[in-house]
Amino acid sequence: MKLDVRLVLDAFELEVRFEADTRAVGLFGPSGAGKTSLLECVAGWRKPSVGRIEVGGRVLYDSASGVSLAPHERGVGYVPQDGLLFPHWSVERNLRAAEHGRGVPEDALATAIEVLELGPLLSRDVATCSGGERQRVALGRALASKPEVLLLDEPLGALDRPLRRRILPYLVRATEAFDLPLLFVSHDPTEVQAICSEVVVIEGGRHVAQGGPAAVLGAAERAGTDFENVLRGVVEFDEEGRAHLALDGGVRVEVPARGAEAGATAMYGVRADDILLALAEPVGLSARNCLHARVERLDADGQDVLLTARCLGPLGKPGPLLRASLTLGARRELGLAVDGGVQLVFKTQSCHPLG
Amino acid sequence: MDAAVLNAFWISVKVATCATILCVPPALLLGRWLARGTTRGRSVIETLCALPLVLPPTAVGFLLLALLGVDGPLGREGVGLDLLLTWQGAVLASAVMAFPLVLRGARSAFEAVDPRLERMGESLGMSRPAVWMRISLPLARRGLIAAAVLGFGRALGEFGATLLVAGNLPGETQTMSLLIWEDIQLGETSRALTLVGLTAILAFVLLFIVERLSRSAGRATR
Repeated sequence: MKLDVRLVLDAFELEVRFEADTRAVGLFGPSGAGKTSLLECVAGWRKPSVGRIEVGGRVLYDSASGVSLAPHERGVGYVPQDGLLFPHWSVERNLRAAEHGRGVPEDALATAIEVLELGPLLSRDVATCSGGERQRVALGRALASKPEVLLLDEPLGALDRPLRRRILPYLVRATEAFDLPLLFVSHDPTEVQAICSEVVVIEGGRHVAQGGPAAVLGAAERAGTDFENVLRGVVEFDEEGRAHLALDGGVRVEVPARGAEAGATAMYGVRADDILLALAEPVGLSARNCLHARVERLDADGQDVLLTARCLGPLGKPGPLLRASLTLGARRELGLAVDGGVQLVFKTQSCHPLG
Repeated sequence: MDAAVLNAFWISVKVATCATILCVPPALLLGRWLARGTTRGRSVIETLCALPLVLPPTAVGFLLLALLGVDGPLGREGVGLDLLLTWQGAVLASAVMAFPLVLRGARSAFEAVDPRLERMGESLGMSRPAVWMRISLPLARRGLIAAAVLGFGRALGEFGATLLVAGNLPGETQTMSLLIWEDIQLGETSRALTLVGLTAILAFVLLFIVERLSRSAGRATR
C-alpha cells in the first residue's frame, strides 16, 4: 500500500505520504486530523490536488500520469462511521447491494453472514436495526461485495464503549476471515492494536509517526487515560483446566477458561490501570499473572505515569510490550527507571476476550 | 350533472394528465442536474425554466401562439405541428405552465437524497445509471410524486395560456376553468358555482396528497 496524497480543502491542508507492506494498516489520530479525507481519497469520493494512491499493486490515482479511477472501478469496500445503509432496503438487500454493481459471490455473502452473525437480521428493515447491528450489516455489505481493499472509517465510532467492545470481535473475525488489504481509521488504541499490524499516526493533516501498534500507540500522548494492552496468542489448557495464552518469547498469561478454545488464536485486553507493579515476585497474592519485564519507557503527565515494559520469557527472550499506569509517588517509592527490572501483576479476570 | 360540466371535467383531467406526463421526464433529468451538477450557468437555466411562474399566462400563451402559428417555427409551415385550437395544444400550454413547479419539486426531491448514499452505491461498483435507478429515484420518489401531483394541479387550473393556444371550444378544448369564465360572462352563476365547488374539492385532495408526500419524503430520503 503506497499513499502520497496532498489535498487542499477550505481551511485545511492534508499532506500524507507513507508506504506499508503489511495487510492491515491503521490510521490513528485525533478528530479533524484528516483521516476520513484520506480514506475518501482512496475511495475516489475526493480527488487529491496531487499525489499517487496504490493499493495491492493497483494504481487508483496518479496525478502525474493522469490516472484517476472512478469510484465504481476502484474495488473498495467502504464502511463509514454511520454505516450508510440504504434506508429503502431490507438488511438482506443491503447485503446484496453490489449485485447491481460488481456482483456478490454467494460464498462471500455466506461467510459474511456467518462471521458477523447476520442470519437473524436478514428480513429486517434497516430502520429497525440497532447501532451495532447497522455497523455489522455495513461491514457485511462491504465484505460481500468482494472488494480488493477494505476501508473502515471508525466503524465503531458511533457506538458507546461497552457496545464497541462487544462488536470488536466481529470486526476482528471478519477482517481475518477475508484476509484483505485494509485501511482502518480509529482513535481507539485498543481497536487499532486488535486489528492492525502497522499504524500510521496523522495529526493536523500531517503524517507524524509510523510503526507497530504497540510501540506507536503506547506513547503517552496517544495512549490516553484508559489505555488497554492487547495480547494475542494461542490458547493452551493445562491438566487442571486452566487456560493460558502463549505469547511471543515464551511468555504465558493465564486467561479466563470460560469461552476459551484450546489451540485457537485469541486476543485479550488488559487495561493499563489493572496492572500492579512489584520489584520482586509477590507471595500470598491471588493474582495469577506475574510477568518479569524490563522497563523501556516512563512517561509522566503531572501525577500520572505510564510505564512501558518488555515482558521477558523464561530464557530471557523478549516478549510483548505491556503498559501499566501508576502514580508519580509510586514510581519514586519503587525507584523505577528505564532498563530496570519490574514484575507486572494482574488477575486472570482482568483479561477480557477481544476476538 | 349538466353534460357541459361533465365534458369540461373530463377534458380538464385528460389535458392535465397528458401535460403532467409530458413535463415529468425533462423535469426529472433537469432537476437531477440542477441538484447535483457543478456546471456554471445552472442558475441561468433555472431562472429561464422558472419564467412561466412569474410571466402572465397570457404572455406565455402569446409566445406559444407565435411559435405554433401557421408561420411560426413550430407551426404548419415550420416543423409541421398543427396544435392551435386542439386539445393537444391545451396540453402543451398547460405543460409549459406546470413545468417550473414540477422542476422545482424534482430538484428539491433529489437534493434531499444524501449524496453519500449515491457515492456508496458507486463504491459498491454500481454505474451512474444504476445508482440513479436503484438509489436516487427510489429515495426521491415521494418528493417526485408530490412534484408531479402539484404539476397536475397547476395544469388542471390553467386558463390564460390555454385560452390563447387552444381556444374555448365546447367538447373539444373547453376545460373547467374556461367553462367557469364563460358561465360568469353569460351570467350562469349557479353552474359556475358548481364548477368552483368541484375544482375546490379536486384542489384540496391534490394539495392534501402533496402535503402528506412532502412530510414523509424528508424521513425516507436519509
